[in-house]
Amino acid sequence: MPDTPSNRLRRRLVVAGGAGIASAGLGAFSRAAYAQRTSIELPVANGQRHLVAFPEKRPLIVLTTRPPQLETPFEVFNDGLITPNDAFFVRYHNNGLPASIDGDRHVIKIGGNAAGKPFVLTMADLRTQYKPVEVVAVNQCSGNSRALFNPRVTGGQLTNGAMGNARWVGVPLKDILARAEIKDSAKQVTFDGLDTALMGGGDFVKALDIGQAMNGEVMIAYQMNGADLPMLNGYPVRLIVPGYYGTYWVKHLSEIQVIDQVYDGFWMKPAYRIPDNACNCVEPGTAPAATRPIGRFNVRSFITSVTDGARVPAGSPLAVRGIAFDGGQGIREVAWSADGGQSWREAALGQELGRFSFREFTFGFTPQAGAYDLRVRAFNRSGESQPMQALWNPSGYMRNVVESVKIQAS
Amino acid sequence: MKPITPLVAAALVALAAAAGAKDLALPPDTVQLTPSPLPGYAKAQANCTMCHSAEYMLYQPPSAARPYWDAMVHRMKTVFKAPIADEDMPEIVDYLAATYGKQQMK
Repeated sequence: MPDTPSNRLRRRLVVAGGAGIASAGLGAFSRAAYAQRTSIELPVANGQRHLVAFPEKRPLIVLTTRPPQLETPFEVFNDGLITPNDAFFVRYHNNGLPASIDGDRHVIKIGGNAAGKPFVLTMADLRTQYKPVEVVAVNQCSGNSRALFNPRVTGGQLTNGAMGNARWVGVPLKDILARAEIKDSAKQVTFDGLDTALMGGGDFVKALDIGQAMNGEVMIAYQMNGADLPMLNGYPVRLIVPGYYGTYWVKHLSEIQVIDQVYDGFWMKPAYRIPDNACNCVEPGTAPAATRPIGRFNVRSFITSVTDGARVPAGSPLAVRGIAFDGGQGIREVAWSADGGQSWREAALGQELGRFSFREFTFGFTPQAGAYDLRVRAFNRSGESQPMQALWNPSGYMRNVVESVKIQAS
Repeated sequence: MKPITPLVAAALVALAAAAGAKDLALPPDTVQLTPSPLPGYAKAQANCTMCHSAEYMLYQPPSAARPYWDAMVHRMKTVFKAPIADEDMPEIVDYLAATYGKQQMK
């Protein structure tokens, strides 16, 4: 059997629980269609998309070509807890992408008015002069699942595939900034990459508060899943902000500035802001009274082994699996329901790869002939969970409703 | 987050030596702007897709109303410095709202 993604999926499903489950796992798609398709119909109005293989990538869902924005087909999340580099989602904001990057000659300029000792960090220094660390962490787009908002909101119309989980190797940002002799006046740290805005306005620059930048978790990564980063995921170095939305994970990182004020460039204000209230939500169709920059992930969970609309054999045990994650507390429990949330039981949790990683859950039951509405609801170690009814905000950020997977047993 | 052992670190440095250059050659756009008899069509071709592909317009929800398209065209000029002539903006907005938004003629 050739080592294609569909065959890997098939093997995994067969290993997981028998041929009956294998057919259920692919839901509405036939296997042949899955392997050969060049387009996909997302389950939303105006959801027709192309599947195209970009450099270093397998065919992914094209949200935009210029600049590249690519969504991971959801089946990939059933292949394993680590998202392969060639399937990892892509999100750029401006179309001035570097045509070529020399990973050996690349440098990061470190300065700013609150850096006492500016310096230029070479890749060789990054790799040899600092102690590397490793973390398994989810990267998720702020607007992951935006197309599923009801009422719909404008912006990048993504379903649930603008997320991925990878093993990152790099150097803690605090170790690098320590060399810059940060002044007491430091308030924020800004991050810029080699990608540029074509007409000179709206360069993609992001900022973190100095306390977060120095918390030891934020890192500059030069390796992803044991390999160089793919070009489209930030080669040769990107910022990793575990537990925080991908907007802060600046790619092709080339300039870091420690500054004595709050940075308010376009991509910090008015872009990437959420309602400044407890639920980060407002009544649909209304505007928030106050906003703040988006921050940590909320809790999410997804069934990956069966898809909405799948048919399964009645009277046979059905093994279900999926993934859960949060902003860094770690997942404590996943509850599951087969009756649309009327009754709940506890799923089994898989091995923990770290508190920022996808966590596997599994459960099983024997469906009788009829309809089932499967739901999963994760809780993190602070007791935070997912709402039963979707929350709404005008930018379409942070969706984390308890999802519904309706299946039919016959 | 866990520290890496010296042995692994040494292997990483060895790997680093092989990093080298990566080139990026992107595939062509998957869609083009939807043709229209409206005068804004040619102006959108001249002003919008020189910087970004047309999926940005095509994939907006059918509920996207004229204020959205108006705000986007203005954002392209004020934030991103797109060289759009002020007098061309209403016709571009007309075309976008009629072709991709709530005013679609279907």
